[in-house]
Amino acid sequence: MSALSFQQTLAIPQRLARLPGWIILLVWTAAVLLPLYILVISCFKTTAEIYDNRLGLPQSFAFDNFVRAWTRADLGHNFINSLIVTGGAVILTIVVSAMAAYPLSRYKLGWNSIMLGLFLSGIMLPIRLASVELFTLMRTLGLLDSLTGLILVYSAIRIPFAVFIFANFMRVLPSELDEAARMDGAGEVRILFQIVLPMVKPAVSIVAIFTAIAVWNDFFFPLIFIFDDRYKTVPLAISVFVGQFRTDWGLVFASLAISMAPILIMYCLLARQIREGVGAGGGMK
Amino acid sequence: MIKPRRTTSLQRTQQCMAVLFILPALAVYGLFVLYPLLMSLWGSFFAWKGLRMQEFAGLANFSRLFVFPSGARLHGALWHNIAWFFGIMVLQNGLGLLFAWLLFLRGKGAAFFQSVFFFPAVLSPVIVGALWRLLLAPGGIVEWALNGLGLHQGSLTVLGNSHTALGMLIAVDAWNWMGLPVLIYTAGLRQISPQVFEAAKLDGAGNARMLFSVALPLLMPALGTLTTLSFINTFNQFDIVYVMQGVQGNPSYSTDTLVTYFYRLAFGAEGAVGITDIGLALALGTMLFLILGIGTLLMLRFFDKRTVEL
Repeated sequence: MSALSFQQTLAIPQRLARLPGWIILLVWTAAVLLPLYILVISCFKTTAEIYDNRLGLPQSFAFDNFVRAWTRADLGHNFINSLIVTGGAVILTIVVSAMAAYPLSRYKLGWNSIMLGLFLSGIMLPIRLASVELFTLMRTLGLLDSLTGLILVYSAIRIPFAVFIFANFMRVLPSELDEAARMDGAGEVRILFQIVLPMVKPAVSIVAIFTAIAVWNDFFFPLIFIFDDRYKTVPLAISVFVGQFRTDWGLVFASLAISMAPILIMYCLLARQIREGVGAGGGMK
Repeated sequence: MIKPRRTTSLQRTQQCMAVLFILPALAVYGLFVLYPLLMSLWGSFFAWKGLRMQEFAGLANFSRLFVFPSGARLHGALWHNIAWFFGIMVLQNGLGLLFAWLLFLRGKGAAFFQSVFFFPAVLSPVIVGALWRLLLAPGGIVEWALNGLGLHQGSLTVLGNSHTALGMLIAVDAWNWMGLPVLIYTAGLRQISPQVFEAAKLDGAGNARMLFSVALPLLMPALGTLTTLSFINTFNQFDIVYVMQGVQGNPSYSTDTLVTYFYRLAFGAEGAVGITDIGLALALGTMLFLILGIGTLLMLRFFDKRTVEL
């Protein structure tokens, strides 16, 4: 009896002591989730309803705003452009970075570390400051107003991080791996794509995830390279909407929801990989 | 005595293959990153007419940067960037440490909270900026909530007021990236041996003592990573300002940053519409490059020296 009451007297103050901490954590959870909740419910409301019924669920889950954003504001077109640019940049970055990282991490060349250093220095370079010369270069190459141009620029920016990740993962693979394949007469291209790359799948997914997020979200380079509406990407279109449809809040909320949908889906599926990737390297931006 | 250099055929093929394998990545990276960057640094020492490079001008662009009419803009933007950095250090990296510590002490549910806290970081700053612009607008939901709670009366104009706008943008940026310090600190805390904390507990240290006297010195590498990343991100700040306050950093340049000023000089939104000043833009770019380079090196050294080995 006395033992039980002793346990209780110890447990309750301990739990009470933890209460303020829980409250702090829950307050920030609310600070993150409430704006997103308001974003989601506002997508289904008319502008009048947004003013009348601030926090409640919409009267009906009508997709009117989404349809108008997709067609009248032509977000559908921007969405496809963003998918092409993101997909193209992810594939190009993975292929050329894996190719470069393979000899740099597994051959004895004598110049591995210099070349790796040249690539790695790019992780920190503030490329936005080169945008004037980059603009001139793109104009000379005929790559303004072009999705190909965006794919090339994004790949160039993401290559340093990708080479760094691939080289780190490839370096620790056993050397018997490619030696045995070489004995069997496999060419270097086959060794890389059929033996080495499948062994570093975690690296491929880290590079794919962080390249996709960075490219999908970027707004700076479309802003300076894309003038034709036909080639605008989602973030650039959104930045125009916010001013253009200022009074049509339902439409703006719906277009924000559409533009974050692919990232939201990816985040729900890959939250653990993303958390671990950031916690380990911090190499996000 | 010189060692005889014998190149086996394997080594020779490897040298050739290596060059072929590295070439595509090096070509793309060199052409679209290294070349424009070097040309920009080089070009900042020349006079410009539109997008055409003229004669060598020495440091003329740099001296123009610091005098009228550019001097006031530069001074304002630099000061806003510095304020932004310290704001982020306190709001984001300070609060983030508190959150990470609370999650570490609890253990349970850490993954859930981390995922929620990090979610805004995967969103585009454009979406984050647009969302908060709608929430903080006059007639928006924040105004409604503050009026309802009796904390504020009438129209909320925090984004239109030059005294509060910068602070609001810093808070939105912290909201955006809060998950980053939480993830990096928790990864750092988990690397500390549990015996260290047990020993401190036996010595009678409370949670607060344990955080500041035991955990924090061991978290120096994490703090160094975060300080450096925040520094680089702050001095590249553009998107949130552009979306929430426009490229001029409204109201009356009170939220102007170095990169928004650079953008106006380079792509023509400063002064008379459509007039660019490439020489000034490149000089500003070179200056920013130096600030970022030297700042990053100093920070890495600072935190390297303070790293405690157990």
